[in-house]
Amino acid sequence: MPMADNKKRRRKEPTGDELPFKNSLKSDSDILKTLKDFSTASASSSSAAQTLTLQDLPLPFRCREVADLSLSSVQSNIESLILRIAHSILSGHGFSFDVPSRSAANQLYVPELDRIVLKDKSSLRPFANISTVRKSAITSRILQLIHQLCIKGIHVTKRDLFYTDVKLFQDQIQSDAVLDDVSCMLGCTRSSLNVVAAEKGVVVGRLIFSDNGDMIDCTKMGMGGKAIPPNIDRVGDMQSDALFILLVEKDAAYMRLAEDRFYNRFPCIIVTAKGQPDVSTRLFLRKMKTELKLPVLALVDSDPYGLKILSVYGCGSKNMSYDSANLTTPDIKWLGVRPSDLDKYKIPEQCRLPMTEQDIKTGKDLLEEDFVKKNPGWVEELSLMVKTKQKAEIQALSTFGFQYLSEVYLPLKLQQKDWL
Amino acid sequence: MDGDYSSESPTETKKTKSKTPRKPKESLLKQKSPAEFFAENKNIAGFDNPGKSLYTTVRELVENSLDSAESISELPVVEITIEEIGKSKFNSMIGLVDRERVDAALYDDYETEKAREKRLAKEARAQEMQAKNAALGKKVKETSATKVIKGRGEASFYRVTCKDNGKGMPHDDIPNMFGRVLSGTKYGLKQTRGKFGLGAKMALIWSKMSTGLPIEISSSMKNQNYISFCRLDIDIHKNIPHVHLHEKRENKEHWRGAEIQVVIEGNWTTYRSKILHYMRQMAVITPYAQFLFKFVSDAPDKNVSVRFARRPDVMPPIPMETKHHPSSVDLLLIKRLIAETSKQNLLQFLQHEFVNINKAYAERLIGEMGPDFSSKMHVKSLTSQQIVRIHQLLRQAKFDDPSGHCLSPAGEYNLRLGIIKELQPDMVATYSGSAQVFEGHPFIVEAGVSVGGKDVKQGLNIFRFANRIPLLFEQGADVVTRTALKRINWSSYKINQIQDKIGVFVSIVSTKIPFKGTGKEYIGDDITEIASAVKYAIQQCCVQLKSKIVKKMQAREQQERKRNLSRYIPDASAAVYNVLKEMTQLHASKKIRYEDDDLELLRKVSENLLTKETLSEKLAKHVEQVDYEMALEYATQSGVSEEPRETIYIQSLEAENKMIDLQTPFFVFRLFQ
Repeated sequence: MPMADNKKRRRKEPTGDELPFKNSLKSDSDILKTLKDFSTASASSSSAAQTLTLQDLPLPFRCREVADLSLSSVQSNIESLILRIAHSILSGHGFSFDVPSRSAANQLYVPELDRIVLKDKSSLRPFANISTVRKSAITSRILQLIHQLCIKGIHVTKRDLFYTDVKLFQDQIQSDAVLDDVSCMLGCTRSSLNVVAAEKGVVVGRLIFSDNGDMIDCTKMGMGGKAIPPNIDRVGDMQSDALFILLVEKDAAYMRLAEDRFYNRFPCIIVTAKGQPDVSTRLFLRKMKTELKLPVLALVDSDPYGLKILSVYGCGSKNMSYDSANLTTPDIKWLGVRPSDLDKYKIPEQCRLPMTEQDIKTGKDLLEEDFVKKNPGWVEELSLMVKTKQKAEIQALSTFGFQYLSEVYLPLKLQQKDWL
Repeated sequence: MDGDYSSESPTETKKTKSKTPRKPKESLLKQKSPAEFFAENKNIAGFDNPGKSLYTTVRELVENSLDSAESISELPVVEITIEEIGKSKFNSMIGLVDRERVDAALYDDYETEKAREKRLAKEARAQEMQAKNAALGKKVKETSATKVIKGRGEASFYRVTCKDNGKGMPHDDIPNMFGRVLSGTKYGLKQTRGKFGLGAKMALIWSKMSTGLPIEISSSMKNQNYISFCRLDIDIHKNIPHVHLHEKRENKEHWRGAEIQVVIEGNWTTYRSKILHYMRQMAVITPYAQFLFKFVSDAPDKNVSVRFARRPDVMPPIPMETKHHPSSVDLLLIKRLIAETSKQNLLQFLQHEFVNINKAYAERLIGEMGPDFSSKMHVKSLTSQQIVRIHQLLRQAKFDDPSGHCLSPAGEYNLRLGIIKELQPDMVATYSGSAQVFEGHPFIVEAGVSVGGKDVKQGLNIFRFANRIPLLFEQGADVVTRTALKRINWSSYKINQIQDKIGVFVSIVSTKIPFKGTGKEYIGDDITEIASAVKYAIQQCCVQLKSKIVKKMQAREQQERKRNLSRYIPDASAAVYNVLKEMTQLHASKKIRYEDDDLELLRKVSENLLTKETLSEKLAKHVEQVDYEMALEYATQSGVSEEPRETIYIQSLEAENKMIDLQTPFFVFRLFQ
């Protein structure tokens, strides 16, 4: 593989084009043809393969998963919980919550599902204990607030929720954590609690969908694209003529592609969550992938953090593993920027950064993770990164011109089907 | 050490030669150089500037006094007084007439018209700001009353007096003890307080340089019916004492000790805190001494008087003189030992002038030296080459480590009491390490760690001691500072590095402290033996503290548990009650099936038979019960050691017993007054 690359590079150099590798690009129609083949192949494979669920697997222990619940069932769940507590208090036993543990020890990566799931260990949260009294008070308060949301049938943000009782919650991290505990405890997704996070993700490109009944055409949303709605149940009627979904780690690269109307040259949908993905972006991506049956290609930084973000899209975060079934998008391809690209595309030394101690540690830890290990190509790339101790951002490609990313790098990558 | 400086300053020797043209005697020339050398390089002895000179003078006098008292196994009592002397008083002391300024513009601090305008404008602005701030209700910082900027040449003078109960000095030796720098060379090796062995001599040189006033010494020894009084200064060029007055006075009170008085230029304002810190730290490491420190000036509000009382009456033993360890010697030292030895042959020399070489080992060493060495050869006849060979072998050969018995550490007992006495911490732990070796010199590291206390700031407070004297300057690079800051994981011992008031005390004693820098103010961080010993000692203290802290935290948790649990009762009961209330309202409209007991509960809520208060009460009862159970459990685990402490009053032994006896036929009530 490296030998072939070397040869290719040598062939191209003497031409002296202003953009390196530009003349190795075939015509757009050729690239489109390969993409179409890829798209149909992945569509048929994904429709052929029956999506596995936890129930299908003979796992040696029970796992906890949550489901989307209707407002009324969330409400009745809360009510029966509160009734149980009220009885307990009145009988003089105080009360306690049985909260599923979300600690790292209770997480498991299931290779068959390609995502992290939560085991069924749980811990008691008694009121009359100095270490849990605060949390159980907050939990009861959050339950009450969600009960109200259910009755009124409205949505609030996590920030709203925090501000209803700042004195008790003290800081948003605490109310957010308890919110996840509550959805875990009630066995429903966080969206079913009617609590959403602020909008973070954006989408642009060949996608039409309805948001709360309004039809949105993502090619006509201007340069910034359409903000991904915080509650996925508003979204429906997805239509698209795209050949693939391009997942971008960062806002800067997303802007470049949106402004260059990359999606018109190669029909695609471009999505970014501006860093670590939030719940709604992950839900949206999953919905697109399952409904439109499009392959997903990821463009992230060539550093451990980039791969980490990729893994969150792919197999879920540990914090939200109880809902990994709804939040993860399987089979995301790592398009770039990969550690091997740094040499392949001759990114100059001054655009590469030395990895810090922390980076190297994160990289080595990732190498131990199951979701990396199952993909030999990823292991190879990550080992190369840890070995060379160099990282680079997507922006490093701008060293050959601001539009190098959309003009040469991505088309060439697509033409060569250079994804892992 | 002392000899080194004289040999290092050949230039000075030459200079004096040219100044005083005729003095052919070599030995006299050699004696002259040290006083001049130190006068010209006073910074290495800690006399960088007037402020530091005042500080160093104090410490030299205090340390001399401690040495003197300890040498006769007397618990030291040291009184130190700094008296500020105004300019006119100083002038009258030296017999100079005060002169008013005639040509004001001649002086450096003369304020020109322009500068005056500038200053007035600035002051007006400052006033305006202050008024504004006051109007806004901001806290107004007390603007320091317009600082009196001291002009150039406007020096402050101080009379430093140090009185002790030490050994005193023989009447006839006094002039030479003060008026001659580096008189004798020390033979042997010993843990000493002084850094250069200069003592009060350097203070005398400084007084000579800054004020020109002589030093006054009173001293009396045991069984001496007179007090020696001596007023002298030093002839720096000749390095000889210049005696003004040397007489015997009456000693009615059978006083024993020494009192030294010197007038020097100094700076109390800038070095006030350093001097006070020094005294306090000295009191920590020398708790068996009593110090009285006084600062006297014309302004009564500036006066300071601090008494550091004695706590224990156990003194560490006097450090013993020891012989050199063979692996620590250099070529010069071997030559000196050869010149000074009373032993005749090489075998005896090796056996008796070094530690850890016995006869058999000396013979093996001589055999290893080569064919031109023999046990019986005359040691003074060794050639330079042969001495180099001996040096090489001593460097490479293996010897047992020197033992630490010649050292005199402060001791855990004293260190602990010193810390308790001066800081009054909530908790303290001490540790005394065993003797270790660096480059042939034994050293002992002792450490103390305290938490809490008075006059201790939050975070790490580092107290460093070398050979039982405090080190105050150049703290940043010191091995103790670095270790405490970087290599101790305080949080693992339940100590909060930022919020807790942590005192770290490390005392290192050695026959040779490996100081770094010219000022001898810190020990470098690059010596692994010392660094690891320091780290270990601090860790040992922390381990002791940890169990105490954990116990304390548990005890506090015991006390606060009920309050902390009760604090959340309103929140929890309100939340539960509100949901129930909503449910009753919904229940009326919607048909939802509930269990019977649930229905009963909801009915009570709707009929206001069950309210928020009911829930709160029930929860409070539960909390109380849990608290009681936990307290019982805690008591059974920890035993009944934690009794409430009470102040007890113990009758003093000397005091007269004042009591009233109330007699009855069966018993006696005795009331103490």
